[in-house]
Amino acid sequence: MSLKPKRVEFVDVWPRLRRMAESVITLRQVDRAVWNTSFSDVYTLCVAQPEPMADRLYSETKHFLDSHVEMLANKVLAKHDAANANNTNSRPDLLQRYYTTWMEYSQGIKYLHLLYIYLNQQHIKKQKITDTEAIYSNQSSDAAEQMEIGELGLDIWRMHMVEYLAEELVRHILEGIAADRASNGTLDSHRVQVINGVIHSFVEVQNYKKTGSLKLYQDFFEGPMLQASGTYYTNEANKLLQRCSVSQYMQEVIKILECESKRAQKFLHVSSLTKLRKQCEEKFINDRLGFIYSECRDMVSDERRQDLRNMYIVLQPIPDHLKAELIQTFLEHIKNEGLETVYALKGENIHIAFVENMLKVHHKYQELIADVFENDSLFLSALDKACASVINRRPSERQPCRSAEYVAKYCDTLLKKSKTCEAEIDQKLTNNITIFKYIEDKDVYQKFYSRLLAKRLIHEQSQSMDAEEGMINRLKQACGYEFTNKLHRMFTDISVSTDLNNKFNNHLKDNEIDLGINLSIKVLQAGAWPLGSTQVIPFAVPQEFEKSIKMFEDYYHNLFSGRKLTWLHHMCHGELKLSHLKKSYIVTMQTYQMAIMLLFETCDKLSCREIQNTLELNDETFQKHMQPMIESKLLNANSENLSGDTRIELNFDYTNKRTKFKISSALQKETPQEVEHTINSVDEDRKLFLQAAIVRIMKARKVLKHNALIQEVLSLSKVSFTPNIAMIKKCVESLIDKQYIERTANSGDEYSYMA
Amino acid sequence: MKVTIKSWTGVASWRWIANDENCGICRMSFESTCPECALPGDDCPLVWGVCSHCFHMHCIVKWLNLQPLNKQCPMCRQSWKFNIH
Repeated sequence: MSLKPKRVEFVDVWPRLRRMAESVITLRQVDRAVWNTSFSDVYTLCVAQPEPMADRLYSETKHFLDSHVEMLANKVLAKHDAANANNTNSRPDLLQRYYTTWMEYSQGIKYLHLLYIYLNQQHIKKQKITDTEAIYSNQSSDAAEQMEIGELGLDIWRMHMVEYLAEELVRHILEGIAADRASNGTLDSHRVQVINGVIHSFVEVQNYKKTGSLKLYQDFFEGPMLQASGTYYTNEANKLLQRCSVSQYMQEVIKILECESKRAQKFLHVSSLTKLRKQCEEKFINDRLGFIYSECRDMVSDERRQDLRNMYIVLQPIPDHLKAELIQTFLEHIKNEGLETVYALKGENIHIAFVENMLKVHHKYQELIADVFENDSLFLSALDKACASVINRRPSERQPCRSAEYVAKYCDTLLKKSKTCEAEIDQKLTNNITIFKYIEDKDVYQKFYSRLLAKRLIHEQSQSMDAEEGMINRLKQACGYEFTNKLHRMFTDISVSTDLNNKFNNHLKDNEIDLGINLSIKVLQAGAWPLGSTQVIPFAVPQEFEKSIKMFEDYYHNLFSGRKLTWLHHMCHGELKLSHLKKSYIVTMQTYQMAIMLLFETCDKLSCREIQNTLELNDETFQKHMQPMIESKLLNANSENLSGDTRIELNFDYTNKRTKFKISSALQKETPQEVEHTINSVDEDRKLFLQAAIVRIMKARKVLKHNALIQEVLSLSKVSFTPNIAMIKKCVESLIDKQYIERTANSGDEYSYMA
Repeated sequence: MKVTIKSWTGVASWRWIANDENCGICRMSFESTCPECALPGDDCPLVWGVCSHCFHMHCIVKWLNLQPLNKQCPMCRQSWKFNIH
């Protein structure tokens, strides 16, 4: 056949074409040859001479489809009516018929679309406004506009079928879904398929639209469906409430949520899944929060894991602020437990118990959060808050919080020589950092730590230098270089001192000098060590020492010019060999004690006054060092209280199983005064820190409001401590007095920097 | 001999001996550091000139580098020489 346009009569061609269209749309068998003829019939009509008959073809086709669908609609409904007359329980049939008809029609219209492809491509597409025009001209596609045949078919279906039957269909669908719910999701699969098909037909019928293709689905079906589901959920929830405890209720709800989301997948269009889920959560959870929370406190305090797990699952989808109650209860619970384990502590080893109990609590709840709450950050931060508030709690307004001290002492206990194996110590130190991080007064910790470290280093009590370094590195990681640089300095001094001693000994050997004393000297740099009061305690060095000390000083000054050495005798110690007893003993003691013993070289009895005067010791030092000597029974005193006239004599009957022992010294123990001193010095340091911070800030900002200044100071000091506002104010006042800053003339709460 | 010393572990701290409290260049105490340093001690040592004046090493080196021709002591204007003991 030729493609040339030719003259044709519409009435000649149309009946043939119409029959063909009917066969196609009802999915009847069509011969290839007939199909081809019809295909060219469409073409011929579209290009007919003298006038193309495309418009007429379109309107006739439309008319044909109109009547076809109307007929189908009647078929779906008419049968329904007929059936209704004798069988009231025929509802599924309506859906079934609609479904079958739709399956046929939707397929048929696709073929018909192909048959009319020339009309679609050449005639209709050309008149269609382009996408961009559609978007920007805001013209609604009016009814008069011609549509492609496939779309036309669907549109007609919508008008005559869907809108006509919608109410009835939806009612049946909802009944179907209700039946599925009632039967626990065991509706037979054929019926599920039908309902699913019908629901999806609402979407498919508008699928060709670029915008609002879900509108029909949403208007006719989704809205009523959500509403019906909502009512159903509310009823179910009410029923559950009547027969369930909170814990059962939550279990049920979790099950229902799961079933419902499976059900939604089974029936609904994807766009509805989240909406239905939301509805479900709304009715079962949000609306019943009061009930769910009613046993929250008990569940948390009894740590009923399964219930808490369920509660977490149930509450997960709801907004955070609604979860607050669970989290708050949880927080309170941890806090109470923490306070309980920590604040009843008494006795010598309070610091060990404090840290280990706190670690236990922390560990327990960390594990619980991982197990029950999926490591939810909200719960982890609740744990942090609880721990921080336990650790930083002050027993009362007046008393300072002692946690920093305890934690530092705990480290000290670990790092001192002991029988614990290194791996265990290492592990414990790592754990210790967990607690350390919660401490607000990190500067207090630093003070205590550095004092204890100094003692360990000077008295050579450290278990291992590796462990010490490891701990300092951990602190550095947690708080930065500033925090630990003094600690590092102390380490350096010790290793420099070791070198120095070796060199000194070699020097002695080279010059063939024998001091008779095994000398080991530690030279510390004054600024880096927490040496306490720097004032030198008067002490007349016994001549037995003098030569050695002089040798070392000379050697040192020769090596480092411009430096002055100050001996810290209260930190020195040594070994004495006692030969006046039955056995000879080697005793370790403090320098002052050594000096006292040396006095007995020439006599056996001395009065306290004599000793004190010879050694030029003050009362306090004398008492402190004399007491342990008498307690150890190396010396005997003729009265309990050591007054000036008390006679001290050598105890020639002294015996000890060991030949090498140590006189425990009062000094190595921490006295309450020392603790107080440490705390006071922290206060001084804080003031200096705050003043420096204020000056630095004001220098940068020139003019600043009071509140802004306070904020900046707080953020600067956050790393090492939390200053109270009164202290900051005092510092500001003192800086105004010192004329670093002044109040600006026009405003009372503004400061300006004075260059 | 009833009592003899076997060994002794001594502890001493050291400070600078300077003829002044403060460094004449930066006006900071010798006990503390020059303005550039964070920690006193070995990292920020003192040095003496032949003229007996004493400064933070960092301070005097910086000063000397700023003098194009005659390297003089900033205190007494004698030409500067490090006093090496």
